[in-house]
Amino acid sequence: MVEIAEIAVSAAELKLGTEPVQGAGVRLSLAEGKVRYSMRARDPKVLEGVLGREVPKRIGGTDAGIACLGPDEWYVVLPDNFDLPRGEGLPVSVVDVSSRALGLVLEGPGALAVLCSGCPLDLAKMGVGRATRTVFETVEVVIWREAEDRWHVEVWRSFATWLWNAFLAAMPDAK
Amino acid sequence: MSGFRLADGGRIDRRTKRTFTFDGKARWGYAGDSLASALLAQGQMLFGRSFKYHRPRGILGAGVEEPNALVTVDRGPGRVTPNLRAPSVPIYDGLHATSQNRFPTLKTDLIAVNNVFSAFFPAGFYNKTFMWPRAAWEKVYEPIIRRLAGLGDSPTTRDPDHYDATYAHCETLVVGAGPAGIAAALEAAASGGRVFLIDEQEEIGGGALSDPAQWAWLAEASAKLAALDNVTVLARTTAIGHYHQNFVVAAERLTDHLAVDEAEGPREKLWRIRAGEVVLAMGAIERPLVFEGNDVPGVMLASAAKTFALRYGVAVGRKLIVMAVHDSGWRDALALHKAGVNIAAIVDIRRDVAADLIEGARDARIACYQGYAVTSASGGQAVNGVTIALAGVGKGQKLDCDGVLMAGGWTPTVHLWSHAKGTLRWDEAWGAFLPDKTHENLRCVGACGGDWDFGKGLSIGLLPAPKPLHESKAFVDFQNDVKARDIGLAVQEGFRSIEHIKRYTTNGMATDQGKTSNLNGLQIASGVLHRPVTEIGLTTFRPPYTPQSFGAILGHHKEALFQPLRKTVIDDWAADHGAVYENVAQWRRARYFPQGSEDMDAAVARECRAVRSAVGVFDASTLGKIEVVGPDAAEFLNRMYTNPWKSLEPGRCRYGLLLGEHGFIIDDGVSARLAPDRFHLTTTTGGAARVLNMMEDYLQTEWSDLDVWLTSTTEQWAVIAVQGPKARRVIAPLVEGIDLSPEAFPHMAVREGQICGVETRLFRVSFTGELGFEVNVPAQHGRLVWEAIWAEGQKHGAVAYGTETMHVLRAEKGFIIVGQDTDGTVTPDDAGLGWAVGKKKPDFVGKRSLARPDIVAPGRKQLVGLLTDDPQAVLEEGAQIVADPNQPVPMTMIGHVTSSYHSATLGRSIAMALVAGGRDRMGDTLHIPMPNGTISAKVVAPMFYDAEGSRLNG
Repeated sequence: MVEIAEIAVSAAELKLGTEPVQGAGVRLSLAEGKVRYSMRARDPKVLEGVLGREVPKRIGGTDAGIACLGPDEWYVVLPDNFDLPRGEGLPVSVVDVSSRALGLVLEGPGALAVLCSGCPLDLAKMGVGRATRTVFETVEVVIWREAEDRWHVEVWRSFATWLWNAFLAAMPDAK
Repeated sequence: MSGFRLADGGRIDRRTKRTFTFDGKARWGYAGDSLASALLAQGQMLFGRSFKYHRPRGILGAGVEEPNALVTVDRGPGRVTPNLRAPSVPIYDGLHATSQNRFPTLKTDLIAVNNVFSAFFPAGFYNKTFMWPRAAWEKVYEPIIRRLAGLGDSPTTRDPDHYDATYAHCETLVVGAGPAGIAAALEAAASGGRVFLIDEQEEIGGGALSDPAQWAWLAEASAKLAALDNVTVLARTTAIGHYHQNFVVAAERLTDHLAVDEAEGPREKLWRIRAGEVVLAMGAIERPLVFEGNDVPGVMLASAAKTFALRYGVAVGRKLIVMAVHDSGWRDALALHKAGVNIAAIVDIRRDVAADLIEGARDARIACYQGYAVTSASGGQAVNGVTIALAGVGKGQKLDCDGVLMAGGWTPTVHLWSHAKGTLRWDEAWGAFLPDKTHENLRCVGACGGDWDFGKGLSIGLLPAPKPLHESKAFVDFQNDVKARDIGLAVQEGFRSIEHIKRYTTNGMATDQGKTSNLNGLQIASGVLHRPVTEIGLTTFRPPYTPQSFGAILGHHKEALFQPLRKTVIDDWAADHGAVYENVAQWRRARYFPQGSEDMDAAVARECRAVRSAVGVFDASTLGKIEVVGPDAAEFLNRMYTNPWKSLEPGRCRYGLLLGEHGFIIDDGVSARLAPDRFHLTTTTGGAARVLNMMEDYLQTEWSDLDVWLTSTTEQWAVIAVQGPKARRVIAPLVEGIDLSPEAFPHMAVREGQICGVETRLFRVSFTGELGFEVNVPAQHGRLVWEAIWAEGQKHGAVAYGTETMHVLRAEKGFIIVGQDTDGTVTPDDAGLGWAVGKKKPDFVGKRSLARPDIVAPGRKQLVGLLTDDPQAVLEEGAQIVADPNQPVPMTMIGHVTSSYHSATLGRSIAMALVAGGRDRMGDTLHIPMPNGTISAKVVAPMFYDAEGSRLNG
């Protein structure tokens, strides 16, 4: 019988960082508090009627905090204190998911390599201002390229600790 | 001593000596040497013992095809790697390498006695001999065989290294950086796209590394590649597999070539590359020839000898004989002669050989034996001569030598092509399979595509010999010790397809995947069967191309990051209060909260009593939650669930039962209608993702006309269950905007309002049978609300309880847990939930299956309660149940225990079980045979407490 030593740090002991971490060419931090909505509609015009504003139509496009993730799906990330109308009775779905996710931010020239370490998409070709739902290894994320070297990563709350630490693990080697 | 260092030549750095050990003895070589070249330079011919017969073996090849010289490299505790191929191990100061598969030492191997008796160990020997008695296999045969036939030792400690991994994208990926690959990369780079050029060797160049005439070109091309910023060149990087749509996985070895104290950073890096076009330039591997004694150390591939001489400056012997069936053997012989290596003779089975080759050999004063074959090589731990004969059957003639170079033609390396499901065609001229068609954007260039001039030759594999096949020790697969006669035996025993012959003989099934043996095996089978090669079939190459460390495959996915451990927002509070956890799906949940020296039973009993007598607080946040919104929301749920949903009024809840198309229960949960077009669903913790996927699947593929959308809200809401007669009193001071009175807020109702100033969806539901509420608040406020409820609860004797207490409380009420009391074969009726099936509904998922004959047949397993005759006996979950304990073994098992607990409330044990015809057995006594005696139990309804449900009203 081979005895394998206990691991130094167990999954249960991982912590979500509270302070930003600066690595070589990349900085990891938690995004400020946000309001989040998942919006669905067969016809974007109906949704636009409910919201009183336009929504981006091209998948992957974003406009003032609204990302078009699919043919009938939009994801909203806004600063605090926005309350969207629900469109009762109309063929739309507006669901408050503010608490569902946390935002992690990777910044700096090394940020792309950190993301590429676990995301199978060709992110180098993703334009600034584009957003997409994808995975980082096994964890679902929404990646939002806010600037050339600034990436906002939305992840469900209970996966955030793993993702934070997975980013930390990738940071020293990502070049 | 036979091998030696040539006076000059090679790409080694003769100014830099490296010292290392082999089998504990100090050795040295030059920087740039491989372990094989450094040891050969010092006359080491014996590198390993063979897998089955423990025959002495030397170097066969100079690359990853090497089947014999497997070594273990020890880089310190936890850093021991077995089965590395000596020609592919670069030396560094302090390298510790040991040979494998020898007992006790390489030179004196006691198990080589197997070799003497090898006639008794033919192909299929293990399968035939060790079949009986069955029980002896695990205890006797397998351990012995493993001891004898092991390939290195498994690691026994945690790997201290870390491994990097990344995805990468490029327009062109070139695998193999020989001349053809380099040319392809330069051409692709000119078009401006991103180019990756990867090669498994220590430096790029491939075959050009063994050809000094190409070194100037190579240096220039390497510099050109390095200067291009759209080209990534990765040496020491093996493309281990090609997967769908040009997804190539490659492993880069970052530190294994460095001295241990110089190694920094990750040991390996896994590149997961998606490429627009993949260009395979993997070259070709020379084929050995099959003759008696072709495995004696000193018998090797001609191309290997050339590489050792020209790349490493090492002669593999002082007097070499070339056995060729192909022009390339002559060319290598001449190149070796030019480098100062003594070639005594060239033997070629062919009578007709190109005049320029013969002339070249004569000028070099090399004896030529055209039309001859080597019929045997002699020597024990090193070759000392060969016997040659005209056409292999004439009068034998002995020639002295200390090395034999085999030139059996070439096999294009089509492994990755085959991974990509590319088809192959037989090419007579090559005597090999070449790439044919592919549906990927993939092409082969250079030798692996058949586009390289090695000259002409025969492809015969097995040399003619006077000895009959069944008496010869002519090896085909060196690593798995498969002889030509084993293939003959397989055919004789009736195997016809190469796939069967391969498995019977294990030809090509070793760690080298038959890189040097597959085609020889195929041709020998073809000869014995008198059928063309193309009719014998072709074995399939599968990833990895060469053995691959698990470390690189895992990347960062190990130890704490192996997989996400999901925690609720109340988890930290639970930790502070001494929770003992259990994992449920990816979540960890508080199982119980021991106080003082309490064990689980004591803690659970206390928690249960407190909930029944006062109040308990439970973190139910992990429950799956789905918000179903849209004008067709009710219609959608009506089709998904077994029970009716359209009539449910806003503000009310309903228990929903979800079946698969097969009619079996796959999930359940209480759901609420918040508005005419908005429902709040709950699912089981483990079923959350699965149920959402299933519903989304139906919505997109079956009912795309419905205006309804699903949003996972599992993580949006923290859920705090407050259960017990004092539940209302605990939350009342904290809730605003909701009338909590029983009249205004009945059981199975939902209200929206505020708690502790935070918005809440407050459910009045109970999974305990007590008056109960489930407080849903946005997760970010979950901890705050939990603590407020906890503080208020302290005034009423509240406990925090965990999943174990939750299980006991629900079992006392006979509530099922999907996945515990059901196993994927349980219908609503089996579970006693027939009431939850809408009889008048035209359809729902699984409805049709509920009318299947076997579903309505009597005698199905039904959920019942069990009360043991001994009230303190707690049955084991999963235990089998029999009707008659006195029947002979094997007994007829009529069911099994699904849930079993000690109930503190009842002061006795309770259990639930699935029993054939269970509801017709009410009052019967059944028996549960256990190792320490049979336990008897009476069948009762699965409802042990407050059958009339009066406690729900608090």
